[in-house]
Amino acid sequence: MLVLCIWHLNAGQLGIGIGEFWTAIIDGGNSTHEIIAREFRIPRMLTAVVAGGGLAVSGMIMQTLFSNPLAGPYVLGISSGSSLFVALCTMTGIPLLQSNLGIVGGAFIGALVFGGIILFFSFFIRSSVSLLLVGLMLGSFTGSLISILEATSSAGELKSFTMWTMGSLQNVQFSDLTLLLSIYLPSLLLLVVLVKPLNALLLGEQEAQQLGLNIKMVRISCIAVTALFTGLITAFCGPIAFVGLAVPNVSRLIFRTQNHWILLPANLLIGASFILFGDILIQLLESTVILPINVFTSLLGAPIVIFIILKRMK
Amino acid sequence: MIEFKDTIIGYTSPLLEIENMCLETGNVYVLIGKNGIGKSTFLRSINGEINPIQGEIQIGGQISNKLSNSARAKTLSFTAAGFKGIPFLSTYDYVALGRTPHTGVLGRLNDVDQEQIRQALESTGISHLTERYTDQLSDGERQLATIAKSLAQQTPVILLDEPSAFLDYLNKRTLIQTLLRIAAEENKCIVLSSHDLDICLEVGAPILLVDQRLRKIYTAEENASKASVIQRAFGIE
Repeated sequence: MLVLCIWHLNAGQLGIGIGEFWTAIIDGGNSTHEIIAREFRIPRMLTAVVAGGGLAVSGMIMQTLFSNPLAGPYVLGISSGSSLFVALCTMTGIPLLQSNLGIVGGAFIGALVFGGIILFFSFFIRSSVSLLLVGLMLGSFTGSLISILEATSSAGELKSFTMWTMGSLQNVQFSDLTLLLSIYLPSLLLLVVLVKPLNALLLGEQEAQQLGLNIKMVRISCIAVTALFTGLITAFCGPIAFVGLAVPNVSRLIFRTQNHWILLPANLLIGASFILFGDILIQLLESTVILPINVFTSLLGAPIVIFIILKRMK
Repeated sequence: MIEFKDTIIGYTSPLLEIENMCLETGNVYVLIGKNGIGKSTFLRSINGEINPIQGEIQIGGQISNKLSNSARAKTLSFTAAGFKGIPFLSTYDYVALGRTPHTGVLGRLNDVDQEQIRQALESTGISHLTERYTDQLSDGERQLATIAKSLAQQTPVILLDEPSAFLDYLNKRTLIQTLLRIAAEENKCIVLSSHDLDICLEVGAPILLVDQRLRKIYTAEENASKASVIQRAFGIE
């Protein structure tokens, strides 16, 4: 089994390798400019890796925390929180908030606030379906608030916000990337400490507590990490649906385990491959139509989720 | 091991009085009583989740509801009824989770941990099921797996809430006999609630009787007849 795991991990890595290779060829076909590779290709590739891995891991944490395979940062409304706060930032007309840092900060705070709201509800709502419904309601609610903001904002502000919601990996520049990576990589290391609690959480909070866990601390850290990842990624790439929901399930199906020591790297790799693949398709179509990454993730993610639900019914 | 001193348990109002008694290691105590009378409350009070309304419960000399999370995890294991299994969680990984209180921050299993897991699987007789996913075990096998997890946790006290519910007669017998053997061999103090009076009387496990009229838990006399236990626990002549 160990051999199988290693083989799987290698296969995942190879997938990313091929993705990289592919994208390089696609651009390389037009010109051989090294500047393009350095300023656009590599940041875009790394952003895809960060976005895919981060969202998938966020989804994994949510699913284990809420003992619900249909949880994820998008369905639970955490991404909506980011959107709302970014909308507030871009459309209030305060220059400081409209800066990059303002948007990132806004997205993070939004994710944290909405993560907190879901956490708050999770204390009362035991049923996982109800909790998902609350998440969806939060999504619709913020959607309306954003519409109100859009209706009252100036054309320029509206345009910049709409551009943001269209979500794309190509807007990320080298300077953004340093910020992205300098937050992402250290938090990834911190995640290692969460693996043991996550494994115990599989048995539910009561059992986990019986096994000596400090449940309050674990809950708060799980939400904080998820909010950080979701906020960060949403800030740079716009809202991306279904990665956090579908990829953890796919990882479990492929590796047939619940051990987070395997699931964590699996989600990082499969999540990254998923977004890389999507972004490749988008670049292929770029000459005819420009699509946001969200279109692809929903297009492929939604059927996967339906498949998982059908499989669980059996 | 478990000592009750003038204890009255309940959530907000007194529910049950408990005889001053001491539950010893090496024994399996069977809690017999009506549904809804407070058997789970009793187990959860021992577990320290619910503060007694009066008096105290001591586990190995320490007051149970004042134990820290990590101290409790090394003293008591508690398994609620109705573990349904989890897809893709193998029996081995499930039993290994019992080692959680003993492993470091990263949860790595060292040789000692792996040996404890192996022994737990062996004494519950499910060594051949390690690779099976917990949702694919039979009800009887899954119940044995929860006990293996408790054993792997290496706690002197094991609390089980209706472990024999949903099992057929043969599995019920196997379970009780396995528990008796483990209690004797590994010197555990096992307390479980059950409705299988016949089997428990047959194997001679000491009975903690929840008297429905007196609202009191006490140990039934060693040679108590089935009729007298039923009369006191369920109020049927």
